[in-house]
Order: sequence, then structure tokens, then C-alpha cells
Amino acid sequence: MKALFSQFKFSRILIGDWILFFAALLLVIFLFKTYWHIESATKLQIRQGDKIYATLSLNQSRTLLIHGPLGDSKISIQNGQVRFVSSPCRNQYCVHQGWLKHSGQVAICLPNQISLELLGADKPFDSLNY
Amino acid sequence: MRIFACMLAILLVSCGREPLVQTQSYLFGTLVDISIYGESETKAHQAISQVLQNFQRLHHQLHAWKPDSELSQLNQSFAVGNTPVKVTPELSKMLIQASELSRQSDGLFNPALGHLINAWGFQRDEFTPVEINDADIQKWVKAKPAMSDIVIKDEMVYSTNPAVKLDLGGYAKGYALDQAAKILRDQGIENALVNIGGNIIALGRHGDKPWRIGIQHPRLATPMAMVELLDGWAVGTSGDYQRYFELNGQRYCHILDPRTGYPAQGTQAVTVLIPPGENAGVMSDVASKPIFISGENAKAEAAKKMNVAFYLIVSAQGKVTVTEGMSKRLNWLIKNPDLKVLPD
Amino acid sequence: MQINTTLDDHRVAKLAALAIGLHLLESIMPSPLPGVKPGIANIVTLFVLYRFDFATAAWVSLLRVFATSLLLGNFLSPTFALSLGGAIMSLGVLGLAQYLPRQYFGPVSLSILAAFAHMIGQLMLVRLWLIPHTGLAYLVPLFMAAALLFGLINGIVTSHLLAAYPKPAD
Repeated sequence: MKALFSQFKFSRILIGDWILFFAALLLVIFLFKTYWHIESATKLQIRQGDKIYATLSLNQSRTLLIHGPLGDSKISIQNGQVRFVSSPCRNQYCVHQGWLKHSGQVAICLPNQISLELLGADKPFDSLNY
Repeated sequence: MRIFACMLAILLVSCGREPLVQTQSYLFGTLVDISIYGESETKAHQAISQVLQNFQRLHHQLHAWKPDSELSQLNQSFAVGNTPVKVTPELSKMLIQASELSRQSDGLFNPALGHLINAWGFQRDEFTPVEINDADIQKWVKAKPAMSDIVIKDEMVYSTNPAVKLDLGGYAKGYALDQAAKILRDQGIENALVNIGGNIIALGRHGDKPWRIGIQHPRLATPMAMVELLDGWAVGTSGDYQRYFELNGQRYCHILDPRTGYPAQGTQAVTVLIPPGENAGVMSDVASKPIFISGENAKAEAAKKMNVAFYLIVSAQGKVTVTEGMSKRLNWLIKNPDLKVLPD
Repeated sequence: MQINTTLDDHRVAKLAALAIGLHLLESIMPSPLPGVKPGIANIVTLFVLYRFDFATAAWVSLLRVFATSLLLGNFLSPTFALSLGGAIMSLGVLGLAQYLPRQYFGPVSLSILAAFAHMIGQLMLVRLWLIPHTGLAYLVPLFMAAALLFGLINGIVTSHLLAAYPKPAD
């Protein structure tokens, strides 16, 4: 083994090898940038009425039924994102919010008194003006 | 044994000194979010419950369509004639302030339009598309209900125009914010954030950082900018994405133009930032409306009339206009906003 | 009945045995991240590719996959599927990469390309067939970084071995 290390010569790595290595390195960096959002949320906080219903990890694949005054709202967690799939409210604003994936993002079903909030390592703001 | 005692001590100390206490409740027909920083849990919760109780009271008192609220009873007497009715000192003050603001906005902020709002179906808990009855709408527009039709003297109130129906929807949240700030300060709370349905007032700071507020994008599920809300500042937004319905591909939002009787068109959202003052909360609620309703070329003038120096407008096409002062205070969270900065 | 074996056959057999041995050794060592192994048996595959030819390398590689899975007792299991899938993908890429001009591209290039292909093959297998809809996206950058690192190391080791053990004249 030692003999092998003492013989290490960079000359054994050819020019094409270097080019390929750096191209591959760029690819890997790109993958990190794409899939590892810095502001990525890691946890979901579900509130029902004025209580915290649950705090869950976003790294799972799951659907939940949450019971509110109007009935059950269905939420889905997948691939680090969450959304309201269905809700017994008339206007479906909560469903139209679509997928939440960054920390600080919020979806609320006001009539059914359910709120979804994404928590991450660093929440970019304390409260949302809308 | 000593280690155990130390751990217990640390546990007890950290239990008593919870840095941030945050509650969320459904009141006022909307979501109320209160955060208190740097107070003991007991003190924080005590203060919060006082604030929430006050909200409940106001909500009951000022409800625009439940028949047993003080406001509804006043409206009922307006409809039948001009017999003066006694109101509470608080409501009297509110009406006087609302009248003054209405005048200041050249009538664009008009809390006397209850009948028109009802005709559009917005005086309900949930909105569905209504059949647009143009005749009905024109009737109310022609009747020109205005705050100037209301006579207030020594807490006795009557209206000279039976078409007046008070709806303090664009005012009450702001008023509640100012009251919340006062209650919290009276309780000795120095650092808090109160959010009523998106309208926010700030007290103090969040520890070593100022309170940071995200401003919701009118069309995306994500905030478009962040603003630091310093001690006493308030922020409010009027948007076409909060309360609206869609009919035949057209969006009808709840902010009505008193001149046409129809929902205001051409704007997605207006956000106003109000400096500290006795009525910061009220202004954060009221001031955005006249700007929202005004046509593109009249918006700057409308803002001036309301003494608003810091505002942000998102047009129906998604173009953003901000004042220079506002621009300095904003941190954009979206890439390349289509931005135009107005000189102060 | 006697099967006539050449000297090369013996050499290849020894190398195949070495590959199997290395794979077994690796399988008992703990890995920092589940699913990530240095893949040192691939050094042998590459070595054989350079010393002999692609067909032989493919043979050694596939023999290693089958033999180790039989020996470890996971023949036809998902582990075997992943191993085979990775091997097929990396062999496919090697089959093409072997034609890269040898004065510019050495074992390091082939090793990196093979490692990437191996990892991509396995990720696709996991995503499409074994455990669909996992939070795989989160792990992809990590796995590919590991493939890059180990591909590089294995390539460097292979190039040294090729220099240390020149083709015997026979």
C-alpha cells in the first residue's frame, strides 16, 4: 500500500481525465444547488383552531385528514412539500395555494380553521402580511 | 447528585424564560396571530387573552351583518328614518374618525356602502359568485350613501339618507390593532407583533433583530418581499386575492369603487407602511383602499391625500410600483420584480 | 474430460476471484451513508478492461455480481437487482467509453463515468421499481458526490496498478 502512495504521480491523470473530473464536479454542484434549497423547509406545523395539531417532518410521503368545524381537510406531504388536497370549504382558496416548499410559507383554510406552516432552519420572517 | 440539581435548575430557569410566545386564533372572521417576545409565559398569555377578549368584544359590537350587533341595530334605525340613536362613546369616536378619513379620501374609502357590499354577496362568511344585478347596484350607487349623511352629536346618531348602511370592514381591523398595541403597552409588554387577518402592528423588536414581515405575492403561494417593521410601525395590504369570487373568467374582489358600484379593477394589491402614531393601525387598514380603487394615474395623488409616504402597488399586469422610501425598506424575495421606483 | 486452459484464462480467473473477494470484504465493512460503498471491486473490472478486453471485463464484472450474491445469500433479492442494475449500466457506459482517445482519457475518466452510470442506474431502479415516491431528491446530490469521489479514487488506484503490473510477456 505504502509503495503505491509513494509512487503517486499526478502525471498519471491525463488531460481528458481532468476535464471530465471538473465537468462531473460541476454537475454534482449543480445537483446540490437544485435539490438542496438553503431555505428549504424541514418541518410542517399544522394548527387546528388555536392549538398546534402536529409538527411533522417534511421528509415523508403521507396524507392526513384533519378534522375542523366544517369537516375533514385532507393534506398531502410529499418530497419536502405539502398542500391541501381537499377541504370542505366553499371557496377552496387553501387548495388553490398549491404546494408549499419553502420555510415561512403558509396555507390556511379559514372556514375550517386549519393552517399549514412550513418551518425551516431559519424562518425568513416572523409574520406574513396579506 | 449535583449534576442532577444543576440540570433541574437549568430546566426550571429555561421553563420560566421562554423567549417567544406565539398564539394563533380564529376571530374577527379571520386569523389572529400574536407573538410576544421576552416575557414569561404566564405574563404573555395573560396579555394575549386580554387582547383576544377585546377583539371578541369589538367583533360582536361591529359585526356588519349579524342583526344583534350594535352596528346592525344602528343600521336598522338608519333604514327606517332619522330618529337619533344613542351609541357608546367608543362607537361615536370610531364613526367620527371614519367620517374624517372618508372625507380625506374624497369618498373612496366609504364605510356607508353596506347595501352595495351586500348586493355583491360579500356580507357573508363565505363568498360564492352572485348573479350580478346591475339595476340593484345602480340603485345603490345613485342613492349616494356617504359618511357625510350621518349626524353625530353627543353620542346620538342618525342618518339623513336611508341608503346608508355602515360596514366597518376596512376600518375595524386597524382599530383593533391600535387597541391591541395599547393594551399590550399598558401591560408592560415592550416587544410584540400582532397580526389580524394580515394587518400587522409591531412593538419593540424580536430580541436582537427587528420584527420581519413577509409581504404576500398576489398570485403566487410565496411572499414577494420582506420588510422590517420597527417599533410602532404598522403594515396593511388591500388585495384582490383575499376575498373575491370568479364569474365567467372575471375576478370580482370585495373592494368596491363607490363611483361605479363595481369592484375596483386594474390592481392586484396595494401595501402601505405606516410610521408610529396613535392611529398607525387604523391607517394601515384604511389608507390602502383609496389607493387600490384609484385609477393608475390617480394613485399617487390618493396616497398623498392619505399622508402615505411608503407604499407598494402591484398592477393587474403584475408590474410593481414603489415609492423610494418604501423601496429602501424592502428586501425582495423574488427574482427580478418588474419594478418602478417613484421619487419621494 | 479435460478443458484446455490458457495462461490468460488463469490470470482472468485469479482476477475474478480477487473481484469477488474485494466485494465480499466491502460488504462486511460499515459505510457512512447507507447505499454508498467505495466499490473497490470495480478496480478489477477496469484493470481487466485495460489488460484484456471489454468482453472479459464484462464477464468478470457479471460473474462477480452473481457469485457474491449467491455467496452472501441475496440472489434474486432487491440487493441483487441493484447490484446487477448498477453493473449493467456501468458496463454499458464502459463499452462506449473504452473508445475515448487513450492519450487524453485514462482509467480515471472511465472510472468516473462508470461510477456515475452505476449510481444513476441504481437511483433509477429505486425510483421506478423498488421504492417509488421517496424523498429521493434530497439524497441524489449526496450519492452522485460519492460516485464522483470513489470513481476518482478507484481510477487513480487502477492507473497505478496498471503501471505497477505491466502486461506480462508470454
